[in-house]
Amino acid sequence: MSARLLRYLGVRLLLIVPTAWILVTVVFFLMRVVGDPITAALGGRLPPDQLAQRKHDAGLDRPILSQYWDYISGLARGDFGRSQDNRAVSDIITTYGAATLELVFWSLLVAFAIGVPLGRYAATRRDSAADAGLRLFAILAYAAPVFFVGLLLKLLFSVKLGWLPVSGRASTNVELALQHVSPKTNILFVDAILYGDMGYLGDVLKHTVLPAFSLGLLTAGVFLRLVRINLIQTLRSDYVDAARARGLSARVVTRRHAFRNALIPIVTVMGMYIATMLGGAVLTERTFEWKGLGYQLTELLTARDFIAVQGIVAFIALVVAVMSFVMDVIVALIDPRVRF
Amino acid sequence: MRGKRVAAVGVAGLTVLAIAGCGSGKTGDGGGGGAGLVVGTTDKVTSLDPAMAYDNGSLLAETQVYQFLLNFPAGEAAPKPDAADKCEFTTPTVYTCTLKPGLKFANGDPLTAKSVKFSFDRMVGIKNPQGPSALLVGLDHTDAPDDKTVAFTLKNANDQTFPAILPTQAAAIVDEKVFPADKVLADEDIVKAKPFSGPYTIASYDKNKLVSYQSNPDYNGLFGKPKTDTVTVKYYAEAANLKLDVQQGNVDVAWHTLTPTDIDSLRNSDKVTVHQSPGGDTRYIVFNLNTQPGGTPAQKLAVRKAVATSVDRDALSADVFKGTWTPLYSPVPQGLPGATEAFKDIYGAKPNKDAATKLLADAGVATPVTLNIQYNTDHYGSTSSEEYAAIKSQLESTGLFKVNLQSTEWVSYQKARSTDGYPIFQFGWFPDFPDADDYLTPFFTADNFLQNHFTDPKITDELKAEVTEADPAKRAAVLASIQHDLMADFMPIVPLLTGNQIAVAGKSVQGVDKTLDPSSKFRFGVLSK
Repeated sequence: MSARLLRYLGVRLLLIVPTAWILVTVVFFLMRVVGDPITAALGGRLPPDQLAQRKHDAGLDRPILSQYWDYISGLARGDFGRSQDNRAVSDIITTYGAATLELVFWSLLVAFAIGVPLGRYAATRRDSAADAGLRLFAILAYAAPVFFVGLLLKLLFSVKLGWLPVSGRASTNVELALQHVSPKTNILFVDAILYGDMGYLGDVLKHTVLPAFSLGLLTAGVFLRLVRINLIQTLRSDYVDAARARGLSARVVTRRHAFRNALIPIVTVMGMYIATMLGGAVLTERTFEWKGLGYQLTELLTARDFIAVQGIVAFIALVVAVMSFVMDVIVALIDPRVRF
Repeated sequence: MRGKRVAAVGVAGLTVLAIAGCGSGKTGDGGGGGAGLVVGTTDKVTSLDPAMAYDNGSLLAETQVYQFLLNFPAGEAAPKPDAADKCEFTTPTVYTCTLKPGLKFANGDPLTAKSVKFSFDRMVGIKNPQGPSALLVGLDHTDAPDDKTVAFTLKNANDQTFPAILPTQAAAIVDEKVFPADKVLADEDIVKAKPFSGPYTIASYDKNKLVSYQSNPDYNGLFGKPKTDTVTVKYYAEAANLKLDVQQGNVDVAWHTLTPTDIDSLRNSDKVTVHQSPGGDTRYIVFNLNTQPGGTPAQKLAVRKAVATSVDRDALSADVFKGTWTPLYSPVPQGLPGATEAFKDIYGAKPNKDAATKLLADAGVATPVTLNIQYNTDHYGSTSSEEYAAIKSQLESTGLFKVNLQSTEWVSYQKARSTDGYPIFQFGWFPDFPDADDYLTPFFTADNFLQNHFTDPKITDELKAEVTEADPAKRAAVLASIQHDLMADFMPIVPLLTGNQIAVAGKSVQGVDKTLDPSSKFRFGVLSK
């Protein structure tokens, strides 16, 4: 690894700290704008003296900067706070985060599988009817609310055709069985493999299809447009002209010279779209009863458990910051120009 | 080449999903197999520790795994001995229970009178704001003179509500060797220690996702041996998913809470049966007697009565709630001992525009009367919007009222309604225990829970009298008098609707009807398929 690359990565790594700090600080103060979390959760249910005691116990009657320091230093130690029912938020994150990770993984795969080939197809048939149709599809896929797409898919494939399950991560008996897998990852397709039952694996994957497509379609539209635009631009570049001049066929030029470069911007924005997917996962998980972090977040919001919500949102902010760094590394590895 | 590999990975992934979609699972056959009978619900468990749980979701779990001195037999409103052999007033202020012999928890610990005393002392001592300890406000102290005898000393002589409190969440019996006396125990620790003496124990626990119950061979109580050994509860966020899953047979019973529209559509399904019986929830319109429209007390009363006689309860029940809630003509719902239909008896069941017009005219109230009504959707359900839109339409169609509706989120709503913020507001009541007093005393004494400034010495005296009246017939007469006077002379609330207990089950499931009653206890032990 060259010194220049190491320097570039070092700078990017250092930038995570202020990025994450700004994100979690914004989260902290935004949560305080709406009032203190205990009053939000229990106001109206507790007499004033008990409410005051609860606020005191949670340290919410101390100066805001003192609370902020505790919050930041807690985060630095991996302490994201505790929920109203006294669960460590870090436990909630690890328990439910694995399910969301699984959903995002399959959704990204769907997004790639749909977006990249279709983008390439559209670029090589620029301004044709197929191109126009695919561009329209990309816009619709991106613009359609993920829960709406999910409901349509569910109505068609679950209710009308009966091919796929309505909701959940697995059938009840499979989920019960997988609770006893050791070591348990909470990523059900991994747990099913560890259990060693292909029937269970099939059941888990069957439950994954619709949620993954619902969420994946959202990003597939973006990937399609990015690949198309970048491939069209790359196909116009001098080095592609030079390749053509050497007598290479259009297919070979596209495949060997243009397509790889057209993928670089996708990697660049992927970090951002993973964040988008986390947002989309909230709705997808709710639509399909996928008990992940997004589902848990909505439950905590409904219960007005704002300390736990703050912890999870801070975690998501940190994930976005880290993903941004990871994408920078990948791009730097595949595209030396960015190191300058 | 890399592009090709990316595409290949994508296609491979899609292929895996497609294969899965076509169904390769030998075990992916829905809710059968090791899951036993599957119950779906949208209610959530707050805590398995009775000291911290006072909600329907936790009640569902507690009903299965804890024992109570008294309990409600399926379909009955009068409590009967469960862990107790018998319970009775041994002096006017002492209620004494004798335990059955040989009771024990699933972990082998004996269940004795000391366990019962510990449970009550702990509930009162912890006094968790999210728990039901307030139900024991009438309890002075608990004694356990020997292993089989528990003596409750009550603050009021002959408190007839106390037996009805013994089956509630405030009175679940816990193992003194497992639960700390002064703090709440985490669910995981409870499940691990198995301090259960109810009909079921918890075999596996994934909170608010999937919980599996196994019948408890050592249970010796009112409900007898469960008909089904394994019952699994699946938790849903969206009622629509629960509806689809019960319709497709992925869950055997859907319990709490499908929307009225879903229930109505399931009534036409040939795959499931909608089971329904009278429940205990009620919905009212409450008037703040100080800030409601009307210049004099007589005018204010006329406005209240005119509103009450203009509302079409049958239409609300049929059009908005699709029969899942039924008309209510008294603060006390039908089915409970002492309940009457006082409003219907005095004013009739149907809306009466002429009577409303006369009431306002006689009191000299200028019409149309402007009514500013507040309602809430995040606590009383999204159907409240439709309910109050219908009420507005009904009231305005008389020409006597001009209605302004406003909805506020629950925390602000609770605060504002109890500090004279709203002149007229929606209110719902989920009973603490199935006794008529629970629908009257909290609302119609001085400084009542509604905080709407209603108080009347005669009503207060009658409420005190019914609580301590040991003769059921005399008590029913006092309760009837209270309900009549409230509707005839005061109308501080307008009773609208009472909720039904509803469960939807597959055609092969039996026993659902047996457990639907105003106690709100859904007993897995009576279910089978």
